[in-house]
Amino acid sequence: MKLRLDGAKMSILKWYKKSKRRAAVSVRDQVLEQHQTVRINGDLEHTIDSIQRILGMNDDFTIRRFHVFGKYPAVMFYFSNMIDQASININILKPFMYLPPHLEGKEIESSQLKDVLLYDSLYHSEGMLESQFTQLIKGLLRGETVVAIEGLEEAFLIGTRSIENRSPDQPATEQVIRGPRDGFIEQLGTNIALLRYRLQTTDFRVRTMQLGRRTNSKVAICYMEGITSPDLVEEVNRRLSNIDIEAVLDSGYLEQFIEDNHVSPFPQVQYTERPDKVVANLLEGRVAILVDGSPLALLVPTIFNQFYQTVEDYTERFVLMSAIRLARFVALIFSLIFPSLYVAIISFNPELIPTEFAVAVAGGRAGVPFPAIIEVLVIEISMEVLREATIRLPQQVGGALSIVGVLVIGQAAVSAGFASPITIVIIALTTIGSFATPAYNAALALRLLRFPLIVLAGIFGLYGIMIGLILIVNHLLSLKSFGVPYLSPLVPGSFQGMKDLLIRGPLWWMKSRPVFLHVQDKTRVDSSTVEQLNESQGVELDPLKSKGRKEER
Amino acid sequence: MEHPRQITVFQATAILVSTIIGVGVLALPLFAVRAADSGAPLVTLLGVLLGFVGLALITVLGMRFPTKSIVQYSEDIIGKWFAWIGSVFIVAFFAVLTSLTAREFGEVVVTSVLTRTPVEVTVIVMLLLAAISTRNNITTFAYIHYFYTPILLGPGLLIVVLSLKNAEVINLQPIWGNEPGGMLLGVVTIAALFQGSFIVTAVIPAMRRPQKAMKASIWGMVIAGGLYVSIVVAAVSVFGAEEIKFLLWPTLELAKATSLPANILERLDAAFLAVWVTAVFTTLFSSYFLTIHSASKLFRLRDYRLFSFFILPIVFIMAMFPQNIMHMYEIIQKVGRVGLIITIAYPGMLLLIAILRRKRGDRVEDKPMD
Repeated sequence: MKLRLDGAKMSILKWYKKSKRRAAVSVRDQVLEQHQTVRINGDLEHTIDSIQRILGMNDDFTIRRFHVFGKYPAVMFYFSNMIDQASININILKPFMYLPPHLEGKEIESSQLKDVLLYDSLYHSEGMLESQFTQLIKGLLRGETVVAIEGLEEAFLIGTRSIENRSPDQPATEQVIRGPRDGFIEQLGTNIALLRYRLQTTDFRVRTMQLGRRTNSKVAICYMEGITSPDLVEEVNRRLSNIDIEAVLDSGYLEQFIEDNHVSPFPQVQYTERPDKVVANLLEGRVAILVDGSPLALLVPTIFNQFYQTVEDYTERFVLMSAIRLARFVALIFSLIFPSLYVAIISFNPELIPTEFAVAVAGGRAGVPFPAIIEVLVIEISMEVLREATIRLPQQVGGALSIVGVLVIGQAAVSAGFASPITIVIIALTTIGSFATPAYNAALALRLLRFPLIVLAGIFGLYGIMIGLILIVNHLLSLKSFGVPYLSPLVPGSFQGMKDLLIRGPLWWMKSRPVFLHVQDKTRVDSSTVEQLNESQGVELDPLKSKGRKEER
Repeated sequence: MEHPRQITVFQATAILVSTIIGVGVLALPLFAVRAADSGAPLVTLLGVLLGFVGLALITVLGMRFPTKSIVQYSEDIIGKWFAWIGSVFIVAFFAVLTSLTAREFGEVVVTSVLTRTPVEVTVIVMLLLAAISTRNNITTFAYIHYFYTPILLGPGLLIVVLSLKNAEVINLQPIWGNEPGGMLLGVVTIAALFQGSFIVTAVIPAMRRPQKAMKASIWGMVIAGGLYVSIVVAAVSVFGAEEIKFLLWPTLELAKATSLPANILERLDAAFLAVWVTAVFTTLFSSYFLTIHSASKLFRLRDYRLFSFFILPIVFIMAMFPQNIMHMYEIIQKVGRVGLIITIAYPGMLLLIAILRRKRGDRVEDKPMD
């Protein structure tokens, strides 16, 4: 159990809480805790007994006895489903059993045995000697192989881990038309490799720690040395090491512990399964957190505008993507306020809309017995239910349900006089708008905030919507993600950041990294590149020029 | 980090602009016209100048004592007891101002938009909104104002620009007005609309560079005053001075009279009022914040958040005190004029004594923009 380092000053209350916390210290892994200092003593039978006692009865645990060089009794332990069988046979058993060819005929004393095995015969790069029992057990649990030999006070710990995994295929959640197609998988090693291969630089750093009392998940903190602010890396480290939970099954578990405001509906940590996105963010000066067993990397600090930006914004040309990004932003705003605006205008201020349209709306609503707010809430809730149903259903059925469900139910609701056609249109637009938001968790936040807004609009009209929006905006303005104001670069204003806020400025405009991340190395684009851009491009194939050249010949 | 000094000049300007621009804009042309019919723009301009005098005094004082708010440095200048009396007046005055602002807007909403809603509800909603928001720290306070400033300026300018279609320059003549006699009172009344600028005393101690506070004050006053003058010009030129005397909220009528091109929205007044909620909110937010901030300094409490809900019932009861709209506007004018003693005369006296006694606060060294 890690104790927090609160400052020297401690209030009585804190002390009381702390003493309680101390009393309730829970042991990470009871068996290992007891054997903390136990070492291997060279007695093979004793070693076998101990390991069996610690690991208990497991059918997938293999103990294989054999003789090293035909005379020293030895034993090999491994979990049979976590290892690479071929590698064990060829690279471990064989070299252990046969003398290396260049030592033929020599007599190996038991004192030399350890060195000969390690330096001359073992064909495996990840082989090491370990005498600590706890380390050996942890290695076994990771999927490594332990070889203990009679008379040796150290055992071999050899990396043979091989876990079945998916291949890095197209990310399911963030698909792009133009951009890399690989996504993270569950294996941490592969994920780091995917990052390394995109960042072949000495500046890319990975720090790992183990979190989760029972899962012992490996957590990697990735950052760029010389770019990322060291304070940020320290802070991420500190927040992560304060986490003491039983299991880290996904990066989402960590997210909930490291975010600044735990009750806010808005996500303050971004997750992604795209290596290129992680790399881009690392280069901006953020820190990425990867967890073994989760295909989703976390990126901190996160600000609001990342939720309507996609990877594609940067791979496609800037004029087009600026327009599309604006459309996405409009969709995001739509999904938040459209239904409540409708309710407010219909119930309180019909004079705002042009007369012809108002008449049409009134005609559509003629048969509907409910006030607008009830109608909108009912349709909204059924929409949410439908959406949830589509997600949970098996894929083959899901597609059919979504289209058919929405069309048929909407049409039926209108003909039944249960809702007016305009309401269905509004809700449909809203729902589609929330689908256009690239970040699922941000879309979710706005989707949920719709409901209180609809209620406010039903009670106070436009005035109520404004009250609700002011509350939401004030909350956004008070949020911080690792100390970075949530609405940067808009508030506090930074001209440099505005180039990438609503529009996506050309890459050569964005010469420096975001200011709010307090990076060490600020420049991104070399100024000579920009100069060359501004010079006239070569016109070697201009028809006039080439014609002139022909005549010369 | 008790006082993170983070507020930039830009943000300080925004705070001033959004604090000054508030519910007063709605009735402003009426006050100006009552004072000097067609001379209304001139009266407004003079009112702005008078308001600026008060603001300049506080800014100079704040720059002299860059780490303290008025409650604290007044103790240094005139001694504990006198300062205590002055500070109590300041707190009480801004509590009253908060309540009147909330009530005034409540009346506007109830009269023009939510006709069946009791005024108590709209007032309490506004006050609750301000009270919840004041629980944030001064940096967030600055962010909130900064964010809303463009939202306030936009519709105000839009109304002015759109009303130019119906403007008649003849309505603005003679520039001096027909009876220059009532001008002085009008100037004082309009200057009272700028009392929100007192918030600068709470802002300077949190500014990154307090020595640049004057720049923020000048800009804030130019922007807010410019908007005020242009709204008065627009209202008078569209309706004419005599017509305005029969309108309670000429600015709102101006919004009704204008329409967007292409007939997107039939009438602008409801939309204008909806957007104006933000303007009123920022004004309320500032005066409420100033009230609890000064009160906590007065009682030497470190945490001003205690007060935010403690003061709420008091402010609400005060807001409900006026019997009706007419009564309310009478009170508002009186309170505003009396308030000038607090917002102009008192700081002026403090500054004079500070100069005579050669009192200065600690300097704040120039911190780099990290």
